Amino acid sequence: MIFEALVEGRALRVEVKGRGDRYDVTVDDRRFEVDWRENGRHFVSLLVDGRNLELGLEARAGGCIVVFDDDRLAVELRDAVRGGALGGKPAAGGPARLSAPMPGKIVRVLVLPGTAVEAGQGLLVMEAMKMENEIRSPRAGLVREIAVRDGQAVETGALLAVVG
Amino acid sequence: MNERPLRKVLIANRGEIAVRIVRACQELGIAAVAVYSEADRGALHVRLAGEACGIGPAPSRESYLSIDRILEAARRTGADAVHPGYGFLAENAAFARACEERGLVFVGPRSETIALMGEKTSARRMAVEAGVPVVPGTLEPVRDAQAIRREARRIGFPLMLKAASGGGGKGLRLVADEGELDAAAQRARSEALGAFGDDSVYLEKALERPRHVEIQVLADAHGNAVHLFERECSIQRRHQKLIEESPSPFVTEALRRRMGALAVALVKRSGYVNAGTLEFLVDAAGEPYFLEMNTRLQVEHPVTEMVTGIDLVKLQLRIAAGERLPFRQEQLAQRGHAIECRVLAEDPDRGFLPSPGRIQALEAPAGPGVRDDSGVYAGYAVPVHYDPLLSKLVVHGESRAEAIQRMRRALSEYRILGVPTTLPFYARVLRDPSFVSGEFDTSYVASFVARSDGARERPVALAAAAAAIREVRERLAARLPPATRPTSPWFAEGLREAQRGRA
Repeated sequence: MIFEALVEGRALRVEVKGRGDRYDVTVDDRRFEVDWRENGRHFVSLLVDGRNLELGLEARAGGCIVVFDDDRLAVELRDAVRGGALGGKPAAGGPARLSAPMPGKIVRVLVLPGTAVEAGQGLLVMEAMKMENEIRSPRAGLVREIAVRDGQAVETGALLAVVG
Repeated sequence: MNERPLRKVLIANRGEIAVRIVRACQELGIAAVAVYSEADRGALHVRLAGEACGIGPAPSRESYLSIDRILEAARRTGADAVHPGYGFLAENAAFARACEERGLVFVGPRSETIALMGEKTSARRMAVEAGVPVVPGTLEPVRDAQAIRREARRIGFPLMLKAASGGGGKGLRLVADEGELDAAAQRARSEALGAFGDDSVYLEKALERPRHVEIQVLADAHGNAVHLFERECSIQRRHQKLIEESPSPFVTEALRRRMGALAVALVKRSGYVNAGTLEFLVDAAGEPYFLEMNTRLQVEHPVTEMVTGIDLVKLQLRIAAGERLPFRQEQLAQRGHAIECRVLAEDPDRGFLPSPGRIQALEAPAGPGVRDDSGVYAGYAVPVHYDPLLSKLVVHGESRAEAIQRMRRALSEYRILGVPTTLPFYARVLRDPSFVSGEFDTSYVASFVARSDGARERPVALAAAAAAIREVRERLAARLPPATRPTSPWFAEGLREAQRGRA
């Protein structure tokens, strides 16, 4: 099977040929021989060209998160389109929508809609797990919308602001 | 003070520290009572304690910070002592006083000592009286914006703004220049109000590249006091300690003795009883300045336990029961080297944002010299209401080099799935030459992140390969009609055999 994989912003072509628990994997132009052994539902022990690699796998829609001892990478997978060009995700050109990275409480909104902001400028302060975190603008532009108010409780993924 | 053995201790805390105290009680044959908020019914400290008592809704103000509810729990369960752990009510003099008034033994110093040393500006004045050098700054708390501006100009920038009732890095801000002052003061005061119910602050000159070194002390109610050497706590992020060790790689024997003597002098002068910690900043010239005293057990107490062989929590309980310290200063020594990594539910790849959620799976390290003081388990949902500390991974070795190797080994065995944690970050720090050489100060984490994040070689190809193989296997499993999906391992094995060669 051939996939397009997106790993932390990098696009890769992955081909998997397998027999039982042994796989021949080609990632772009690198080839790996992999022996795969699942240890429970979440852990897998890989022998990659004879080198042992103990990984954790967290299921996610459209892929999974691979947990190494010194890193943690989100992998998105989709079936490769036959003959299709493989490229990275195009950079979003439209307005940036900021959503809550975790559940918490809005302590203070720092800017009004219509304000021109710089990339990295603080838009609002959110409290989660007893710490106040400043939510910053990912880009320069005008604040199109502030979707929350001071004191409001928000869930993960709730829209906070739109900058464009 | 007469000896009065403790029979039943209520632990007014949660998480890993409540677990630690439950364990000490059990080993001393003392009954342990856990308390829990509605968010914590399934927490590990509740599961391990012999008795448990609900104390209200999830927000800590209505549970772990509610003096009335905790005292009511103590009354209902017939506890004769209260151990406050750290954080929450641990340094709240009103709570200690309320315990004293009800005849409950408070496992910590007397309420008036907490008031004296817990309020940071009076502790600074006490230190000056005891001849202990302090960081230049205000000796009185400051309460309004105008006074903050006036004092800031007098002290000069950069400076530190700190909550007068603070601790744990809350209500603390570094202010580089006057332009940042008002916003920082507002943030510090609002955090301080939320965490400690008091928004007064004080100001200190920010030292150039300081190291954060603290001295552990123990004092009994009979006038005996000792220090248990230093802990090195310079590996911090936003004033939250991440990695601690003992001994400190740059504290000389002379400085160690000097800081220990200063600490014992201050303990004796203030009539301090039980375990406590004196925090010092050490400047580039090796001069120590007293910062503040923590009138409680510290998060990082295990590194001291590992090098001294002394169980601090048990001694806290024995001192609270009126016992004398069972050793003298000259009987204490540091043996080998200990390192602790605080395992936090924070995502190092997203600016250390808190990452609450359910722990899907967990494998803890084991083997010689490894200790995991954890408050979580596989299947546990890390609540959003409390701090993100999951566990403290501690190792002990004969030397710092061995402790580092051991920590690397332990980190490679430690897996937590379901929530991002700081574990992978520590694995990278423990390989960083500056950390290994011991040449670091409190700016280390910021500079390590800045120089390594962009440059770091990430295992993208292996991650893609693993994810793709997993996907192939999932699809293969899903192709089987539901009725024939394997239910037993023997059936699954048979199926795998049958499919060999068909992929």
